[in-house]
Amino acid sequence: MKNLIFLFSILFLLSLNSCIGDDIIDDRVDPFLRISNPIDSLEFNTSYQFETVFLNNVGKETNIDLEWSSSDPATIEVSNSGLITANQLGNAIITGMGEAPSGEMVKTDHLIVVGNSTVITVIEERTGDLETSSSYALEGSFNLKEINGVLTLSFDDNYEASSALPGLFVYLTNNPSTTSGAYEIGAVTVFDGAHSYELPSNIDIMDYDYVLYFCKPFNVKVGDGQFD
Amino acid sequence: MKKIFLTIVVALLFNSLAQAGGGWPQPKGALYLKLSEWWIVSNQHFTDVGQIDPNITSGIFNTSIYAEYGLTDRFTAIVYFPFFSRATINNEVSGTTGEILTPGDAINSIGDTDVSLKYALNKKGLIRTAATVTFGLPLGNDSGGELNNLQTGDGEFNQMIQLDASTSYQIKNTTIYASTYVGLNNRNKGFSDEFRYGFELGAGLLKSKLWLIGRITGVESFKNGEVAGESTSTSIFANNSEFTSYGVEAAYKITPKFGVSVGYASAFRGEIIFANPSYSVGVFFDLGK
Repeated sequence: MKNLIFLFSILFLLSLNSCIGDDIIDDRVDPFLRISNPIDSLEFNTSYQFETVFLNNVGKETNIDLEWSSSDPATIEVSNSGLITANQLGNAIITGMGEAPSGEMVKTDHLIVVGNSTVITVIEERTGDLETSSSYALEGSFNLKEINGVLTLSFDDNYEASSALPGLFVYLTNNPSTTSGAYEIGAVTVFDGAHSYELPSNIDIMDYDYVLYFCKPFNVKVGDGQFD
Repeated sequence: MKKIFLTIVVALLFNSLAQAGGGWPQPKGALYLKLSEWWIVSNQHFTDVGQIDPNITSGIFNTSIYAEYGLTDRFTAIVYFPFFSRATINNEVSGTTGEILTPGDAINSIGDTDVSLKYALNKKGLIRTAATVTFGLPLGNDSGGELNNLQTGDGEFNQMIQLDASTSYQIKNTTIYASTYVGLNNRNKGFSDEFRYGFELGAGLLKSKLWLIGRITGVESFKNGEVAGESTSTSIFANNSEFTSYGVEAAYKITPKFGVSVGYASAFRGEIIFANPSYSVGVFFDLGK
Protein backbone atom coordinates (compact mmCIF):
# COMPACT_ATOMS: atom_id res chain seq x y z
CA MET A 1 0.00 0.00 0.00
CA LYS A 2 2.87 2.34 0.90
CA ASN A 3 4.54 1.63 -2.47
CA LEU A 4 1.27 2.33 -4.28
CA ILE A 5 0.90 5.68 -2.54
CA PHE A 6 4.49 6.50 -3.42
CA LEU A 7 3.99 5.58 -7.09
CA PHE A 8 0.75 7.54 -7.45
CA SER A 9 2.41 10.47 -5.73
CA ILE A 10 5.23 10.49 -8.29
CA LEU A 11 2.80 10.25 -11.17
CA PHE A 12 0.63 13.04 -9.82
CA LEU A 13 3.59 15.30 -9.19
CA LEU A 14 5.08 14.71 -12.63
CA SER A 15 1.73 15.62 -14.18
CA LEU A 16 2.11 19.11 -12.79
CA ASN A 17 5.02 19.81 -15.11
CA SER A 18 4.14 22.40 -17.66
CA CYS A 19 4.20 22.42 -21.42
CA ILE A 20 5.59 25.24 -23.59
CA GLY A 21 3.08 28.05 -24.02
CA ASP A 22 2.85 31.15 -26.19
CA ASP A 23 3.79 34.72 -25.36
CA ILE A 24 2.12 37.15 -27.75
CA ILE A 25 4.13 40.29 -28.44
CA ASP A 26 3.12 43.51 -30.11
CA ASP A 27 5.61 43.59 -32.96
CA ARG A 28 3.80 45.80 -35.41
CA VAL A 29 5.76 48.50 -37.22
CA ASP A 30 4.61 50.85 -39.95
CA PRO A 31 5.18 49.41 -43.44
CA PHE A 32 7.91 51.27 -45.26
CA LEU A 33 8.85 51.77 -48.90
CA ARG A 34 12.11 53.30 -50.11
CA ILE A 35 14.15 53.52 -53.25
CA SER A 36 17.34 51.51 -52.68
CA ASN A 37 19.37 53.16 -55.50
CA PRO A 38 18.38 56.84 -55.38
CA ILE A 39 19.90 59.48 -57.60
CA ASP A 40 20.10 63.23 -57.25
CA SER A 41 20.23 64.02 -60.95
CA LEU A 42 19.68 62.21 -64.22
CA GLU A 43 21.58 62.95 -67.41
CA PHE A 44 19.48 64.46 -70.13
CA ASN A 45 18.17 61.92 -72.67
CA THR A 46 19.09 58.86 -70.58
CA SER A 47 17.18 56.33 -68.53
CA TYR A 48 17.63 54.88 -65.05
CA GLN A 49 15.95 51.90 -63.37
CA PHE A 50 14.75 52.48 -59.83
CA GLU A 51 14.87 49.56 -57.40
CA THR A 52 12.80 49.49 -54.25
CA VAL A 53 12.78 47.89 -50.86
CA PHE A 54 9.48 47.31 -49.12
CA LEU A 55 9.38 46.37 -45.40
CA ASN A 56 6.05 44.99 -44.21
CA ASN A 57 4.24 45.59 -40.93
CA VAL A 58 6.71 43.39 -39.02
CA GLY A 59 9.81 44.87 -40.65
CA LYS A 60 10.47 42.03 -43.08
CA GLU A 61 11.38 42.65 -46.71
CA THR A 62 8.74 41.44 -49.15
CA ASN A 63 7.52 42.29 -52.65
CA ILE A 64 4.56 44.47 -53.53
CA ASP A 65 3.16 45.82 -56.76
CA LEU A 66 3.80 49.51 -57.27
CA GLU A 67 2.28 52.20 -59.41
CA TRP A 68 4.69 54.87 -60.58
CA SER A 69 3.93 58.45 -61.49
CA SER A 70 5.77 61.65 -62.37
CA SER A 71 4.79 65.16 -61.39
CA ASP A 72 6.02 66.34 -64.82
CA PRO A 73 6.07 63.52 -67.40
CA ALA A 74 7.26 65.94 -70.09
CA THR A 75 10.50 66.38 -68.14
CA ILE A 76 10.87 62.91 -66.62
CA GLU A 77 8.61 60.04 -67.52
CA VAL A 78 8.37 56.83 -65.54
CA SER A 79 7.26 53.40 -66.67
CA ASN A 80 5.17 50.85 -64.79
CA SER A 81 8.39 49.12 -63.70
CA GLY A 82 10.03 52.29 -62.28
CA LEU A 83 12.25 53.04 -65.30
CA ILE A 84 12.68 56.82 -65.52
CA THR A 85 13.68 58.69 -68.67
CA ALA A 86 14.89 62.32 -68.80
CA ASN A 87 13.21 64.05 -71.75
CA GLN A 88 14.10 67.70 -71.14
CA LEU A 89 15.92 69.90 -68.67
CA GLY A 90 14.05 70.63 -65.50
CA ASN A 91 12.96 68.55 -62.51
CA ALA A 92 10.14 66.29 -61.40
CA ILE A 93 9.01 64.33 -58.38
CA ILE A 94 8.82 60.59 -59.03
CA THR A 95 6.38 58.72 -56.84
CA GLY A 96 6.08 54.99 -56.26
CA MET A 97 2.97 53.86 -54.47
CA GLY A 98 1.37 50.58 -53.54
CA GLU A 99 -0.88 48.76 -51.10
CA ALA A 100 0.80 46.75 -48.39
CA PRO A 101 -0.53 43.23 -47.73
CA SER A 102 -1.78 44.57 -44.40
CA GLY A 103 -3.94 47.13 -46.25
CA GLU A 104 -2.00 50.35 -45.68
CA MET A 105 -0.96 52.52 -48.61
CA VAL A 106 2.76 53.15 -48.83
CA LYS A 107 4.62 55.52 -51.09
CA THR A 108 7.99 57.07 -51.72
CA ASP A 109 8.69 60.43 -53.39
CA HIS A 110 11.96 61.42 -54.95
CA LEU A 111 12.93 64.77 -56.57
CA ILE A 112 15.08 64.29 -59.68
CA VAL A 113 16.88 67.07 -61.56
CA VAL A 114 17.67 66.56 -65.23
CA GLY A 115 21.20 67.77 -65.91
CA ASN A 116 24.46 67.03 -67.62
CA SER A 117 25.19 63.87 -65.66
CA THR A 118 23.64 61.14 -63.52
CA VAL A 119 24.64 61.54 -59.88
CA ILE A 120 24.02 58.62 -57.55
CA THR A 121 22.92 59.60 -54.04
CA VAL A 122 25.51 58.45 -51.56
CA ILE A 123 24.63 58.02 -47.92
CA GLU A 124 27.97 58.26 -46.18
CA GLU A 125 26.90 58.18 -42.55
CA ARG A 126 23.88 57.47 -40.39
CA THR A 127 23.61 58.43 -36.74
CA GLY A 128 21.35 57.76 -33.80
CA ASP A 129 21.04 57.66 -30.02
CA LEU A 130 20.42 54.69 -27.76
CA GLU A 131 17.58 54.82 -25.27
CA THR A 132 16.66 52.27 -22.66
CA SER A 133 13.15 50.79 -22.74
CA SER A 134 13.64 48.85 -19.50
CA SER A 135 14.92 49.36 -15.97
CA TYR A 136 18.45 48.63 -17.15
CA ALA A 137 20.86 51.43 -18.07
CA LEU A 138 21.42 51.94 -21.81
CA GLU A 139 22.38 55.19 -23.49
CA GLY A 140 24.84 56.67 -25.93
CA SER A 141 25.29 58.03 -29.43
CA PHE A 142 26.26 55.86 -32.39
CA ASN A 143 27.07 56.20 -36.06
CA LEU A 144 27.30 53.86 -39.03
CA LYS A 145 29.81 54.59 -41.79
CA GLU A 146 32.63 53.08 -43.77
CA ILE A 147 36.03 53.16 -42.12
CA ASN A 148 38.92 51.94 -44.28
CA GLY A 149 36.45 50.28 -46.61
CA VAL A 150 34.61 48.39 -43.84
CA LEU A 151 31.12 49.32 -42.69
CA THR A 152 31.53 50.06 -38.98
CA LEU A 153 29.05 50.71 -36.18
CA SER A 154 30.72 52.99 -33.66
CA PHE A 155 29.62 54.14 -30.21
CA ASP A 156 30.72 57.38 -28.62
CA ASP A 157 32.31 58.07 -25.23
CA ASN A 158 28.86 58.70 -23.75
CA TYR A 159 27.85 55.04 -24.23
CA GLU A 160 26.80 53.12 -21.13
CA ALA A 161 25.06 49.76 -20.74
CA SER A 162 24.20 47.76 -17.63
CA SER A 163 26.51 44.84 -16.93
CA ALA A 164 24.08 43.39 -14.40
CA LEU A 165 22.05 41.63 -17.05
CA PRO A 166 23.19 38.18 -18.21
CA GLY A 167 23.69 37.61 -21.92
CA LEU A 168 23.29 41.13 -23.36
CA PHE A 169 23.48 41.09 -27.16
CA VAL A 170 23.43 43.87 -29.77
CA TYR A 171 21.60 43.62 -33.11
CA LEU A 172 20.71 45.56 -36.26
CA THR A 173 17.05 45.29 -37.11
CA ASN A 174 14.01 46.80 -38.84
CA ASN A 175 11.69 45.73 -36.01
CA PRO A 176 12.71 46.97 -32.55
CA SER A 177 10.29 44.63 -30.76
CA THR A 178 11.96 41.31 -31.53
CA THR A 179 15.24 39.74 -32.51
CA SER A 180 13.49 37.61 -35.11
CA GLY A 181 14.87 38.60 -38.51
CA ALA A 182 17.52 40.81 -36.92
CA TYR A 183 21.22 40.68 -37.65
CA GLU A 184 23.08 39.62 -34.50
CA ILE A 185 26.26 41.63 -34.18
CA GLY A 186 27.29 39.74 -31.06
CA ALA A 187 27.50 39.64 -27.29
CA VAL A 188 28.13 42.95 -25.59
CA THR A 189 31.60 42.96 -24.04
CA VAL A 190 32.05 46.72 -23.61
CA PHE A 191 29.69 48.33 -21.13
CA ASP A 192 30.92 51.90 -21.18
CA GLY A 193 32.89 54.22 -23.41
CA ALA A 194 33.77 54.39 -27.08
CA HIS A 195 33.98 51.17 -29.06
CA SER A 196 32.99 49.82 -32.47
CA TYR A 197 31.85 46.76 -34.38
CA GLU A 198 32.93 45.94 -37.94
CA LEU A 199 30.13 44.57 -40.08
CA PRO A 200 30.34 42.04 -42.92
CA SER A 201 30.49 43.23 -46.52
CA ASN A 202 27.02 41.89 -47.35
CA ILE A 203 25.40 44.52 -45.10
CA ASP A 204 24.57 47.88 -46.71
CA ILE A 205 24.41 51.12 -44.79
CA MET A 206 20.68 51.42 -45.47
CA ASP A 207 19.71 47.80 -44.70
CA TYR A 208 18.59 48.37 -41.11
CA ASP A 209 16.84 51.18 -39.25
CA TYR A 210 17.54 50.29 -35.59
CA VAL A 211 20.30 49.25 -33.25
CA LEU A 212 18.70 46.87 -30.73
CA TYR A 213 19.85 45.53 -27.37
CA PHE A 214 18.32 42.31 -26.02
CA CYS A 215 19.02 40.09 -23.05
CA LYS A 216 19.21 36.84 -24.95
CA PRO A 217 18.63 34.36 -22.10
CA PHE A 218 15.58 36.20 -20.74
CA ASN A 219 14.52 37.22 -24.28
CA VAL A 220 13.99 40.72 -22.93
CA LYS A 221 14.39 43.98 -24.78
CA VAL A 222 16.72 46.39 -22.98
CA GLY A 223 16.59 49.33 -25.43
CA ASP A 224 17.21 50.56 -28.94
CA GLY A 225 18.22 53.49 -31.10
CA GLN A 226 16.81 54.46 -34.46
CA PHE A 227 19.00 55.78 -37.24
CA ASP A 228 18.22 59.34 -38.21
CA MET B 1 4.16 13.01 20.98
CA LYS B 2 7.31 15.10 21.29
CA LYS B 3 9.19 12.76 18.94
CA ILE B 4 6.43 13.05 16.34
CA PHE B 5 6.34 16.79 16.81
CA LEU B 6 10.07 17.12 16.29
CA THR B 7 9.99 14.94 13.22
CA ILE B 8 7.27 16.99 11.59
CA VAL B 9 8.80 20.32 12.52
CA VAL B 10 12.23 19.32 11.28
CA ALA B 11 10.73 18.18 8.00
CA LEU B 12 8.64 21.30 7.55
CA LEU B 13 11.68 23.46 8.04
CA PHE B 14 12.81 22.24 4.65
CA ASN B 15 11.87 24.92 2.19
CA SER B 16 11.97 25.23 -1.52
CA LEU B 17 15.65 26.14 -1.44
CA ALA B 18 16.40 22.78 0.10
CA GLN B 19 18.01 24.12 3.22
CA ALA B 20 18.04 21.72 6.10
CA GLY B 21 16.57 24.03 8.70
CA GLY B 22 15.88 23.72 12.38
CA GLY B 23 17.85 23.10 15.53
CA TRP B 24 16.41 19.63 16.03
CA PRO B 25 18.06 16.53 14.55
CA GLN B 26 16.27 13.32 13.56
CA PRO B 27 16.35 10.65 16.29
CA LYS B 28 18.83 7.87 15.69
CA GLY B 29 17.56 5.43 13.07
CA ALA B 30 14.58 7.57 12.12
CA LEU B 31 13.87 8.20 8.48
CA TYR B 32 11.78 11.03 7.10
CA LEU B 33 10.96 11.11 3.42
CA LYS B 34 9.21 13.75 1.39
CA LEU B 35 8.25 13.63 -2.26
CA SER B 36 7.36 17.02 -3.62
CA GLU B 37 6.85 19.19 -6.64
CA TRP B 38 8.08 22.77 -6.60
CA TRP B 39 7.55 25.12 -9.47
CA ILE B 40 7.71 28.70 -10.59
CA VAL B 41 6.39 30.15 -13.84
CA SER B 42 7.51 33.67 -14.37
CA ASN B 43 6.89 36.41 -16.93
CA GLN B 44 8.74 39.08 -14.98
CA HIS B 45 11.94 39.49 -13.03
CA PHE B 46 13.62 41.81 -10.57
CA THR B 47 16.26 43.95 -12.27
CA ASP B 48 19.61 44.96 -10.84
CA VAL B 49 18.02 48.05 -9.31
CA GLY B 50 15.11 46.14 -7.82
CA GLN B 51 12.53 47.19 -10.39
CA ILE B 52 10.29 44.61 -12.03
CA ASP B 53 10.65 44.14 -15.79
CA PRO B 54 8.90 41.68 -18.09
CA ASN B 55 10.52 38.68 -19.72
CA ILE B 56 9.44 35.80 -21.89
CA THR B 57 7.48 33.36 -19.74
CA SER B 58 9.82 30.77 -18.31
CA GLY B 59 9.28 27.97 -15.86
CA ILE B 60 11.21 25.67 -13.58
CA PHE B 61 9.65 22.51 -12.20
CA ASN B 62 11.44 20.29 -9.70
CA THR B 63 10.14 16.86 -8.73
CA SER B 64 12.26 15.87 -5.80
CA ILE B 65 12.92 13.52 -2.96
CA TYR B 66 13.96 14.96 0.36
CA ALA B 67 15.24 12.56 2.98
CA GLU B 68 16.50 12.88 6.53
CA TYR B 69 18.06 10.03 8.43
CA GLY B 70 19.26 10.04 11.99
CA LEU B 71 22.76 8.60 11.94
CA THR B 72 23.04 9.17 15.66
CA ASP B 73 21.03 11.22 18.09
CA ARG B 74 23.14 14.23 17.09
CA PHE B 75 24.08 13.60 13.48
CA THR B 76 21.44 13.72 10.77
CA ALA B 77 22.19 12.99 7.12
CA ILE B 78 20.07 14.97 4.65
CA VAL B 79 19.65 14.68 0.93
CA TYR B 80 17.66 16.86 -1.43
CA PHE B 81 17.53 15.19 -4.83
CA PRO B 82 15.48 16.68 -7.68
CA PHE B 83 15.36 13.54 -9.77
CA PHE B 84 13.31 15.23 -12.45
CA SER B 85 13.88 18.90 -13.18
CA ARG B 86 12.32 20.69 -16.09
CA ALA B 87 13.01 24.17 -17.44
CA THR B 88 10.80 25.75 -20.08
CA ILE B 89 10.64 28.95 -22.08
CA ASN B 90 7.58 29.96 -24.09
CA ASN B 91 7.23 30.55 -27.80
CA GLU B 92 7.47 34.20 -28.77
CA VAL B 93 4.53 34.72 -31.13
CA SER B 94 3.92 37.72 -33.36
CA GLY B 95 0.75 39.55 -32.39
CA THR B 96 0.68 40.88 -35.96
CA THR B 97 1.06 37.73 -38.05
CA GLY B 98 0.60 34.88 -35.57
CA GLU B 99 3.96 33.49 -36.65
CA ILE B 100 6.31 31.97 -34.08
CA LEU B 101 9.17 34.44 -33.96
CA THR B 102 11.35 32.62 -31.47
CA PRO B 103 10.42 29.02 -30.72
CA GLY B 104 10.09 28.00 -27.14
CA ASP B 105 12.14 25.24 -25.64
CA ALA B 106 12.35 22.84 -22.74
CA ILE B 107 14.93 20.65 -21.09
CA ASN B 108 14.56 17.80 -18.62
CA SER B 109 17.29 16.48 -16.42
CA ILE B 110 18.35 15.72 -12.90
CA GLY B 111 18.65 18.94 -10.94
CA ASP B 112 21.35 20.28 -8.66
CA THR B 113 21.47 18.11 -5.53
CA ASP B 114 22.25 18.98 -1.93
CA VAL B 115 23.88 16.59 0.51
CA SER B 116 24.01 17.81 4.09
CA LEU B 117 25.18 16.72 7.50
CA LYS B 118 23.58 18.32 10.51
CA TYR B 119 25.01 18.21 14.03
CA ALA B 120 22.96 19.09 17.05
CA LEU B 121 25.10 21.40 19.19
CA ASN B 122 22.91 20.96 22.22
CA LYS B 123 20.18 18.48 23.03
CA LYS B 124 18.78 20.15 26.08
CA GLY B 125 17.55 23.59 26.87
CA LEU B 126 14.87 25.94 25.68
CA ILE B 127 16.74 26.85 22.52
CA ARG B 128 18.11 24.05 20.39
CA THR B 129 20.96 24.81 18.06
CA ALA B 130 22.50 22.88 15.21
CA ALA B 131 25.23 23.34 12.65
CA THR B 132 24.85 22.06 9.13
CA VAL B 133 27.32 21.70 6.31
CA THR B 134 25.83 21.33 2.85
CA PHE B 135 27.50 20.33 -0.38
CA GLY B 136 25.71 21.50 -3.50
CA LEU B 137 26.40 19.02 -6.28
CA PRO B 138 26.09 20.44 -9.81
CA LEU B 139 24.16 17.53 -11.28
CA GLY B 140 21.81 19.80 -13.20
CA ASN B 141 22.19 21.22 -16.68
CA ASP B 142 23.61 24.75 -16.62
CA SER B 143 23.43 25.41 -20.36
CA GLY B 144 20.61 23.54 -22.02
CA GLY B 145 18.29 24.02 -24.95
CA GLU B 146 18.86 25.20 -28.51
CA LEU B 147 20.06 28.62 -27.34
CA ASN B 148 21.85 27.31 -24.22
CA ASN B 149 19.63 29.55 -22.12
CA LEU B 150 17.80 26.94 -20.05
CA GLN B 151 19.10 25.65 -16.74
CA THR B 152 18.23 23.03 -14.20
CA GLY B 153 21.35 23.85 -12.24
CA ASP B 154 24.05 26.48 -11.89
CA GLY B 155 26.99 24.26 -12.85
CA GLU B 156 29.05 25.02 -9.78
CA PHE B 157 29.97 23.07 -6.66
CA ASN B 158 29.07 25.11 -3.62
CA GLN B 159 29.56 24.54 0.08
CA MET B 160 27.42 26.10 2.74
CA ILE B 161 27.63 26.22 6.50
CA GLN B 162 24.52 27.08 8.44
CA LEU B 163 23.64 27.68 12.04
CA ASP B 164 20.10 27.07 13.26
CA ALA B 165 18.39 28.00 16.49
CA SER B 166 14.91 26.77 17.35
CA THR B 167 12.48 26.68 20.20
CA SER B 168 8.99 25.44 20.83
CA TYR B 169 6.11 26.03 23.20
CA GLN B 170 3.00 24.14 24.11
CA ILE B 171 -0.10 26.23 24.68
CA LYS B 172 -2.96 23.94 25.65
CA ASN B 173 -3.43 21.66 22.62
CA THR B 174 -1.43 23.85 20.27
CA THR B 175 2.27 23.50 19.67
CA ILE B 176 4.10 26.58 18.48
CA TYR B 177 7.68 26.69 17.27
CA ALA B 178 10.05 29.34 16.05
CA SER B 179 13.26 28.84 14.18
CA THR B 180 15.91 31.03 12.66
CA TYR B 181 19.07 30.41 10.69
CA VAL B 182 22.02 32.13 9.09
CA GLY B 183 24.33 30.63 6.54
CA LEU B 184 27.34 31.36 4.36
CA ASN B 185 27.42 29.88 0.89
CA ASN B 186 30.79 29.55 -0.79
CA ARG B 187 30.40 29.33 -4.56
CA ASN B 188 32.75 28.60 -7.42
CA LYS B 189 33.14 29.17 -11.16
CA GLY B 190 32.77 32.91 -10.92
CA PHE B 191 29.59 32.87 -8.85
CA SER B 192 29.46 35.30 -5.96
CA ASP B 193 29.35 34.02 -2.40
CA GLU B 194 26.15 34.49 -0.45
CA PHE B 195 24.79 35.19 2.99
CA ARG B 196 21.54 33.37 3.65
CA TYR B 197 19.03 33.86 6.44
CA GLY B 198 15.58 32.85 7.47
CA PHE B 199 12.96 32.99 10.15
CA GLU B 200 10.06 30.62 10.57
CA LEU B 201 7.02 30.43 12.82
CA GLY B 202 4.75 27.42 12.94
CA ALA B 203 1.76 26.13 14.84
CA GLY B 204 0.46 22.58 15.23
CA LEU B 205 -3.31 22.35 15.41
CA LEU B 206 -5.80 19.52 15.73
CA LYS B 207 -3.52 17.59 18.07
CA SER B 208 -0.58 18.30 15.79
CA LYS B 209 -2.23 16.81 12.73
CA LEU B 210 -2.37 20.16 10.93
CA TRP B 211 0.65 22.43 10.77
CA LEU B 212 0.55 26.01 9.56
CA ILE B 213 3.85 27.73 8.88
CA GLY B 214 4.97 31.19 7.89
CA ARG B 215 8.51 32.01 6.90
CA ILE B 216 10.81 34.78 5.75
CA THR B 217 13.92 33.76 3.82
CA GLY B 218 16.59 35.73 2.07
CA VAL B 219 19.77 35.60 0.08
CA GLU B 220 22.27 38.44 -0.04
CA SER B 221 25.05 38.28 -2.59
CA PHE B 222 28.54 39.44 -1.71
CA LYS B 223 28.92 40.33 -5.40
CA ASN B 224 32.49 39.17 -5.34
CA GLY B 225 32.22 37.03 -8.44
CA GLU B 226 31.84 37.77 -12.10
CA VAL B 227 29.28 40.31 -13.23
CA ALA B 228 26.12 38.80 -14.64
CA GLY B 229 26.97 40.29 -18.01
CA GLU B 230 29.77 37.76 -18.33
CA SER B 231 27.43 34.77 -18.16
CA THR B 232 24.19 33.54 -19.61
CA SER B 233 22.79 32.04 -16.41
CA THR B 234 19.30 33.28 -15.73
CA SER B 235 16.11 32.70 -13.77
CA ILE B 236 16.90 31.31 -10.33
CA PHE B 237 20.44 30.39 -11.33
CA ALA B 238 21.70 33.85 -12.29
CA ASN B 239 24.80 35.22 -10.60
CA ASN B 240 24.58 38.04 -8.06
CA SER B 241 20.94 37.28 -7.39
CA GLU B 242 19.37 38.52 -4.19
CA PHE B 243 15.94 38.29 -2.70
CA THR B 244 13.86 38.44 0.44
CA SER B 245 10.73 36.34 0.32
CA TYR B 246 7.78 35.39 2.46
CA GLY B 247 6.14 32.00 2.35
CA VAL B 248 3.34 29.99 3.87
CA GLU B 249 2.90 26.25 4.10
CA ALA B 250 0.28 23.88 5.40
CA ALA B 251 0.93 20.23 6.22
CA TYR B 252 -1.64 17.66 7.25
CA LYS B 253 -1.00 14.19 8.63
CA ILE B 254 -3.55 11.83 7.11
CA THR B 255 -2.18 8.87 9.06
CA PRO B 256 0.52 8.80 11.74
CA LYS B 257 3.05 7.94 9.00
CA PHE B 258 1.76 9.81 5.94
CA GLY B 259 0.73 13.33 5.18
CA VAL B 260 0.43 16.02 2.50
CA SER B 261 1.64 19.58 2.29
CA VAL B 262 1.13 22.65 0.13
CA GLY B 263 3.22 25.80 0.03
CA TYR B 264 3.41 29.25 -1.50
CA ALA B 265 6.22 31.80 -1.52
CA SER B 266 6.78 35.19 -3.10
CA ALA B 267 9.52 37.80 -2.94
CA PHE B 268 9.29 41.21 -1.28
CA ARG B 269 12.30 42.33 -3.18
CA GLY B 270 15.01 40.95 -5.37
CA GLU B 271 17.74 41.50 -7.92
CA ILE B 272 18.30 39.48 -11.11
CA ILE B 273 15.80 36.80 -10.20
CA PHE B 274 12.28 35.78 -11.13
CA ALA B 275 9.55 37.93 -9.63
CA ASN B 276 6.56 35.56 -9.61
CA PRO B 277 5.38 33.31 -6.77
CA SER B 278 6.50 29.74 -6.37
CA TYR B 279 4.33 26.82 -5.33
CA SER B 280 4.90 23.41 -3.86
CA VAL B 281 2.88 20.31 -3.12
CA GLY B 282 4.17 17.21 -1.47
CA VAL B 283 3.58 13.98 0.36
CA PHE B 284 5.65 13.01 3.34
CA PHE B 285 6.33 9.73 5.03
CA ASP B 286 7.45 9.49 8.63
CA LEU B 287 8.98 6.03 8.55
CA GLY B 288 10.42 6.21 12.03
CA LYS B 289 13.01 3.65 13.09
